[in-house]
This record gives sequence, structure tokens and C-alpha cells, in this order.
Amino acid sequence: MKPGSGTTTDVVTDETDVATDETDVEGAEAGEAGVPGTAERARDDDTGAGAGAGADAGAGAGAPGGEETEAGPARRWPRVLAGVLAVVLLAAGGAFYVAGRQLRDTPATSNKALTDSAATTQVAGDVTNALGKVFSYGPGDTAATKASAQQLLAGKALQQYAALFGQVEKQAADQKLTLTTHVVRAGVTRLTHDSAHLLVFMDQVYERKGKAASTAAAQLSVTARLRQGRWTIVEIDAR
Amino acid sequence: MARVRMTRNPLVAAAIVLTVAAAGAAGWGGVSRYQAAHDDSAAYAQVRDDALAAGEQAVQNMNTLDHEQLAKGLDSWEDSTTGDLHQQLVDGRDGFVKQIQEAKTVSTAKVLSGAVTELDDRAGKAGVMVALRVTVTAPKGKPAVKESRMLGQLTRTSDGWKLSALGQAPVGNTAG
Repeated sequence: MKPGSGTTTDVVTDETDVATDETDVEGAEAGEAGVPGTAERARDDDTGAGAGAGADAGAGAGAPGGEETEAGPARRWPRVLAGVLAVVLLAAGGAFYVAGRQLRDTPATSNKALTDSAATTQVAGDVTNALGKVFSYGPGDTAATKASAQQLLAGKALQQYAALFGQVEKQAADQKLTLTTHVVRAGVTRLTHDSAHLLVFMDQVYERKGKAASTAAAQLSVTARLRQGRWTIVEIDAR
Repeated sequence: MARVRMTRNPLVAAAIVLTVAAAGAAGWGGVSRYQAAHDDSAAYAQVRDDALAAGEQAVQNMNTLDHEQLAKGLDSWEDSTTGDLHQQLVDGRDGFVKQIQEAKTVSTAKVLSGAVTELDDRAGKAGVMVALRVTVTAPKGKPAVKESRMLGQLTRTSDGWKLSALGQAPVGNTAG
């Protein structure tokens, strides 16, 4: 330590530690056990001497200084204990908190499917209704289907649908085709506050005028987003 | 004395504040940890994911069979099931072995997607729906690939979730 730069700051710290520094010296002289680190004590002594003014001021206080010296060793332990306690408590708090987060914030808990039964029912219901409307049409009412698609679909799903619907409209008119779609089962695979993934099984019944109806099974993966309190389908993938 | 107090007090005060804050942190962390451990919805979410994983695996097992490794495949069927379904498989095993040995088919399945549709944590019952792709290879001809949609009922056993019922989602049965 260079005396030049160190002195002023040392004086300040020494002033607060005057009592304990003095205590160390006295304790060592008295052969008191349990004060750790002779090297540290030597350094304390050095700085004590170097910052003579501060040490003298403390000693010069006379009787009170003497009292401090007596109370010193007893005072150090509570301080160390308090420090250790504070560190232990902080560490414990941190450890508990982290453990709690790990228990609570798992991939399982971030998915609210079924755990939030109201939201799960709502998204399954909205998607079921939407698919039923969007994939059902008769030769005369493709316009209604188109209009509902504009409302119930968005994003990529709407683009895909628009591309498909040109052909569908023509087919429906030419072949007098009626398509009726029923959702057999809709399950929510993943749900957050505003987005959901679902697996949907549906039956599609094709009816052509003068022919027996045929039924096709379909499996879809659907992505939906909550917009203005209503689930809108943004992506549909055939499975 | 006054001066010593002036310089010492902030330290003591800081130490007290730190200790109190540390105690608060420990208490809060402890409460947070306790609540997390007793968070029913977290436990329920975990059960849901366990049931889905077990259900998807069981459905895949039930759609996988190699005529050259019949014993292994049928053991895996029996391992994946419980209750009546399990009993049916055990009872029908001999006849089935004969059938597959004659047909010499190899079936493999890949789960495309699955979802838990209902879950009763207490009763240990769950419903799953699974979309899968099944490839059946016969000695002659091209492998047949078909998409399959299955509905299964799971029952919790001491050995994990097992299928107690499994079937294709019915087609054309939607009049109701």
C-alpha cells in the first residue's frame, strides 16, 4: 500500500474501526485465543501506526476508549454472526426462490391446456364452430361460407382458404355439391393466454345431387389466436 | 463517543437492514418454494403431460408389429395396456400370432400429434386423441401408408398410465 494515496481513505476506515484495531492488539498481547490471522493483525498494526492521527484520536478519547476496548471482542462476534446470518438468509431465500421457480415454471405449467378448463373449453368450442362453418357449404350458399371465413380465419389460414375456395365455389355450383363438416373431437395440445394449438378430428360428408353421400375423415392441426375475446384460426395443417 | 457513534451507527443500521432484508428474502423464498410444491395446477399440468407421453407411446406401440419379432411386439402391446383391453390381447394372442405369421406384415407407426381431451387426476383416468401415420408393409406390393386417428382411454396403474380402451375415431357417425 502506498502511503501517499492510501492515507486519507485509510484514516476514514480506521476511524470507524479504531476500537477493534486497538482490541486486536490488546487481545494479542493478552494471549487471547481465537482471533484469526496473524498476518492480518500485523497489517492492522501497520496501518494503525501509519494513520497515527486517527488511532491517537481514538485512544485520546480516554475512558470511553477503554470501555470500547473491553467490549471489543464480545462485539466482534455478534457482528460476524450477523454477517454470516445475513449471507445465509440471503442465500437460503435465493435458493428457495429458484427451487420454487423451477417447480412452477416448467414446460408443463406454461401450457394451460386442461389446467385452465374454462379457456380450454372456450378455445375448443370456438375452433369447432369455426371449422364447421368454414368447411360447410351448399351450391347456393358459398357466399355465406366465404363471409364467415373472413370473420373466423386470419393470417396464413385465410390466405390458404382463399386460394382453395375459388375451386370450391365452382365445384359446388357445377356439381351441386354440398359439404358438411362435423368436428368429431377437438383436443388442445398447447394453450397460453392468447395462442393455442389444437388437434382436430373431423368428418366431411360430401353430397352430390343424385349420388350417395360419402364421408371422409380428416385430421387437422390448428393454430388459433385470441383476438378481441374470440379465438381466430390463423393456421391449418392437414395431418 | 459521539463521533464514534456517528460513524458506527450507519454500519449497524445497514447491518440490521441487510439482515432484516435477508430474513425477508429467505421467508419469501421459502413461501414461494412451498407454494410451488403445493401448486395443484402445476401438479395437474405435469400429470397431463405424463399421461399424453404415455398415451402417445402406447398408441404407437399398439400400431407397431413386425412378424419377425412377434413375441417382442405382442409383449409391448400387453405392456402398454391394462384392464379389459389387456385381457383381450392376452386371450387373443395365439390367434393373432397365427394371422400375422401368415400375412407376414410389418407395421410401423409415427405419432403426428396428440392431445389429452379429458383428465381426472384423482380417478386416474384420461382420454387422449392421437393422429398417427401407419405404414404396413406386406411381402408383396408397395407399403401402404395411411393416416389414422385414434381415441384412447388411459388408466393410471402402479406402473404408469396404460391404455384401457383404444379405437379408431368413428367415421360417419356424426348424425347426433
